[in-house]
Amino acid sequence: MIKLTVTLLLIAICSITAFGQQATIKGKITDTAEKKTLTNSVVALLRSADSTLVKFTRSNKDGSFTLAGIPAGNYFVLVTHPTFADYYVTTNLKDTSQVELGEVPMILRSQLLEQVIVSQKLGAIRIKKDTTEYIADSFKVAANATVEDLLKRLPGVQVDVDGKIKAQGEDVQKVLVDGEEFFGDDPTMATQNIRADAVERVQVFDKKSDQATFTGIDDGQRTKTINLKLKEDKKNGYFGKVTLGGGLPDKFNNSAMVNAFKGKRKFAVYGIMSNTGRTGLGWGDRNAYGGGEMNMMVDEDGGGGMYFYGGGDDFEGGGGSYYGEGLPTSWSAGTHYSNKFNGDRHKVNFNYKFNKLNTTGAGTTNTEYLLTDSSYFRNEIGNKFSQRIRNNLSGTYEVQLDSSSTLKFTANGTLSKNSNNNRTILQTLSGDQVLVNQLQRLNTSEGQSQALNTTLLWRKKYKRIGRTLSVNFDQRYANNEANGFLKSYNEEFGTNPSKDTTDQAKINNSRLLNVSGKVSYTEPLSKAVTLEINYSIRNNNNESERLTNDEQNGKYELFVDTLSTHYNVNVFTNSGGLNLRINKKKLSFSFGGNISHSGFRQEDLFQDTILRYSYLNFFPRANFNWNIKPQTRFSIRYSGNTRQPTIEQLQPLKDNTDNYFQQVGNPNLKQEFRQNIGINFNDFKIMNNRGIYGYLDFTNILNAMSTSDTIYQNFKRVSQPYNVSGNYNYYSYFGYGFKLKKTDFNINFNANINGGNNNSYITDLQGNTGTKKIRNKSRNFEIGTGGNYNKPKKMDFNLNLGVGYSISKSNSQDIHYWSTSLNGSATVYLPWKTQINANANLNVREKTDAFPQNRNVYLLNGSFSKKIFKDDTGLLSFEMKDVLNQNLGFSRDINETYIQQRTYQTIQRFWLISFTWNFSKNGKAPANPWD
Amino acid sequence: MKKILIAITLFYLPVLAGAQQFIAKGKIEFERKLNVHKQIDGYGEWAQEMKKQVPQYHVTYFDFFFDGEKSVYKPGRDNPDNRAGINGWGQGPAQENIVCTNYGTQSSISQKQVFETMYLVQDSLRKIDWKYTTDTRKIAGFNCRKATGIIMDSVFIFAFFTDEIMVTGGPESFNGLPGMILGIAIPRINTTWFATKLELIEPTAKDMAVPTKGKKATISELQKSLQGSLKDWGKWAERNIWNIML
Repeated sequence: MIKLTVTLLLIAICSITAFGQQATIKGKITDTAEKKTLTNSVVALLRSADSTLVKFTRSNKDGSFTLAGIPAGNYFVLVTHPTFADYYVTTNLKDTSQVELGEVPMILRSQLLEQVIVSQKLGAIRIKKDTTEYIADSFKVAANATVEDLLKRLPGVQVDVDGKIKAQGEDVQKVLVDGEEFFGDDPTMATQNIRADAVERVQVFDKKSDQATFTGIDDGQRTKTINLKLKEDKKNGYFGKVTLGGGLPDKFNNSAMVNAFKGKRKFAVYGIMSNTGRTGLGWGDRNAYGGGEMNMMVDEDGGGGMYFYGGGDDFEGGGGSYYGEGLPTSWSAGTHYSNKFNGDRHKVNFNYKFNKLNTTGAGTTNTEYLLTDSSYFRNEIGNKFSQRIRNNLSGTYEVQLDSSSTLKFTANGTLSKNSNNNRTILQTLSGDQVLVNQLQRLNTSEGQSQALNTTLLWRKKYKRIGRTLSVNFDQRYANNEANGFLKSYNEEFGTNPSKDTTDQAKINNSRLLNVSGKVSYTEPLSKAVTLEINYSIRNNNNESERLTNDEQNGKYELFVDTLSTHYNVNVFTNSGGLNLRINKKKLSFSFGGNISHSGFRQEDLFQDTILRYSYLNFFPRANFNWNIKPQTRFSIRYSGNTRQPTIEQLQPLKDNTDNYFQQVGNPNLKQEFRQNIGINFNDFKIMNNRGIYGYLDFTNILNAMSTSDTIYQNFKRVSQPYNVSGNYNYYSYFGYGFKLKKTDFNINFNANINGGNNNSYITDLQGNTGTKKIRNKSRNFEIGTGGNYNKPKKMDFNLNLGVGYSISKSNSQDIHYWSTSLNGSATVYLPWKTQINANANLNVREKTDAFPQNRNVYLLNGSFSKKIFKDDTGLLSFEMKDVLNQNLGFSRDINETYIQQRTYQTIQRFWLISFTWNFSKNGKAPANPWD
Repeated sequence: MKKILIAITLFYLPVLAGAQQFIAKGKIEFERKLNVHKQIDGYGEWAQEMKKQVPQYHVTYFDFFFDGEKSVYKPGRDNPDNRAGINGWGQGPAQENIVCTNYGTQSSISQKQVFETMYLVQDSLRKIDWKYTTDTRKIAGFNCRKATGIIMDSVFIFAFFTDEIMVTGGPESFNGLPGMILGIAIPRINTTWFATKLELIEPTAKDMAVPTKGKKATISELQKSLQGSLKDWGKWAERNIWNIML
């Protein structure tokens, strides 16, 4: 049998030789000392050009071996054996070579003498312990020389034609730049791409086997390593962009931003002026220029979810404090500095931001107030101008105290100035549209505020995995002062017409000081079970002063004590909690909760009375999470919390801005208890791009703090907080999306149902119907479908259609209406680096009895742009917003006491020509994590 | 415990060497180490925040059984330091592969959980052009020579193999060196595999069992469908494909 196999093998070899004209090497491996043949020695054939392994075999029982079928070329034959020294021989094979190596003599490793060559020259060379350091500037190289050229000059270092480096006779396996790997592991990446004049020092040392690098196993091995220490000024760089945009009618959108870095120091400045709705850095620019701090939280309850929450304030985000209502003009500027010291153990971060925002606006609100079996109307028309100037300075200092603990200090101070000017006409009409009363009001105010917040956080991770301790201290201070005037003219019509004017000066001052501390500790009880304990105390002091002076002889000196208050409220809260987490590979479960006690001390400084009361609040919670399969997850979350009444609900500050709608307190108001349960399911198949998402969220409120309103003569309404039962609401969503096989079409369907029940009380003294409970049941159904087609760098289409139906039922009303929305966008990439983009947004809402006007919006935007300059660093664009000049701010709100529709002025048609230029040196904007 | 085992192995080998220098059957345990911090690096402040929450290394164990011409690589013991939840971060798909190799027929069957789909990949052995180097290091008591190779056109791998073990395999689908690969480092995916110990045992039929479940595909079919499915994933696609196609 064996003979047969050998014969077959020989035939096979012969045939290969015959067809391919290939060479064969034969030999016999022997032990020189013992004069015995060696079995199982590896005979490897390497191409001599690059040491590529071409073939290998092991020697037979008699020490013989045959390597056959070898193409012509130059080779090494390398014979290895665990206890013998490597043997190698070079050979040049022709097509038909039959090389007989004969006996290959192997020498025991133990008999070999190691040869050590030490070469050392002094000069600009320093030897520190195991490290040899060369001062780069002492070795002359050509002007544009690379590091490789520099290395060739260094005594004891050799570089061969392929860029392979030998230092002190050994191969250099790693070239680091400032202690870090430079774009991967190929040493020539650094040596051939970095200029010699950027290097300050070249350090040659034996790196302990991968201690700080990726392999991480210390086995006593040393790797010859070169570290290039760069000159500080060569780590410089910058990147930035400038955008200039202008258009009609009188629109501008200009910005400039630059980030200059030097080593780990980062310095950025930006300036933006715009009246196209842009009031700050956008999301993408914030990370690059704003220095806005990013926080990250790993959710251990939910089986490893991860959340990023930006440190954004209302300076940031494309909208700033502009939310689409009115016409904004904004000027903003900011600067950022951050640096790291002592091997990144200390980090500092400073930001200064400035924003001036002027907004003019006008709007109309139509409200139908529901009574038990009738209703009345209030229509409000107003226009306003507001200006806000804010200066903000913030800083962070973080220090890694030791390998297990960190300390972080943050401070944030703001100075701001506000001025507001509001003109309003408010009319009340009876159910049959008869004018009952009218209020004309001018409200002006000038205010300023100062705020300072500081936090101190200390965290320690113990050796035992999962054991952590953190201590947190938090301070907040805010001082607001506002002076203003309320001028109003109130008229009542009907059987007893009356007129009345108000002309008052208003002073509103408030001061808040909040100090709190929290300790939390986690302890792993077993591999899967962790216990978390936390305790916190908080003291919150709030002083509020509201003064009203009537006008008399052109002076505002007549103090109105019925409209003036001065309170000092102190709340001291103790809170403790316990949480148990169980984490298994696929299942995780957690439950626990907090209990807190709040003691109130409310001092009325005018009446000189002190009121004390306290609340005990409960916050139970539980989570369950099941990772059924990769990308398939099911979870249930439960949480409950008591909400205590606010001071305004117990004893509101007196206010006469609207004579026909006043709020009073309810000292008997009880806490409400909210319970929320959410069920979530999602399943995504990556391989065929199919996703299913669904959630259901239900909230039930016990003793809900609703309202009990009383209607007096001429629809004068007084609203009082009041506990009711039976309030709940729910949200649900279901989505399904997939990609059409073998195409670039994605299609999705979704449906959602929202609804709820809200109760309140109403006492209609005017209609004499007594106190009645108003129940409002609302439901909203919506189904949608959408599709997109995407061909990278060619085109991108998107279309979404949604149809909704809303129902709102209460004692006296039954409202239902349809609404439809259609969104589409298309981007087409054209030749000559140009692209066209268009998007349309159509919203159609059915008229209802309450809202007979047509409120449909057809919004159309378009743009054309072209990339210019080398490397596409410039962009020219022409864009037109709201081509049909139809844009309209709109909102509808229906609840148990009213049905409201609001329309307001917003940015309408304009066109803009803009030019953007991106520039950089040695750097670019940091990668977006969602890339 | 691990140390003791290594010590025993180290002590035993020279003794064994006299009688039977070359090992043809046994069990090797591999420690796979993913540098999670490196994996998420390059994302600015985000990564810095994340590093504070996630341990630097994610370590898992695999067993490699070999018997003559056949070998099976599969998930081994649990690592008690790994807690469910946060430890999953930064890892890619196809982390618990079973790879069965037949060196005689030059073919392999591997079972991989690729996102939601379990694949059973059947194909001939991966061919790698290995380059020899003169470097050596000791892994689990064996003298290993370093060789380098490139897979999937651009992914550099460093392998350490020993000629004392006859089988020409290694972790995952790595093979083709004249001996057993006891160490692999792939910087592009920030992952290393190093043998921690060798047990001279006779693998049982259960140890050598070949998986049968999964969607059948060849290597190129799997790669093709991955490229289609991950088309819009940008650079994450590349890294995921490297991980899956090991």
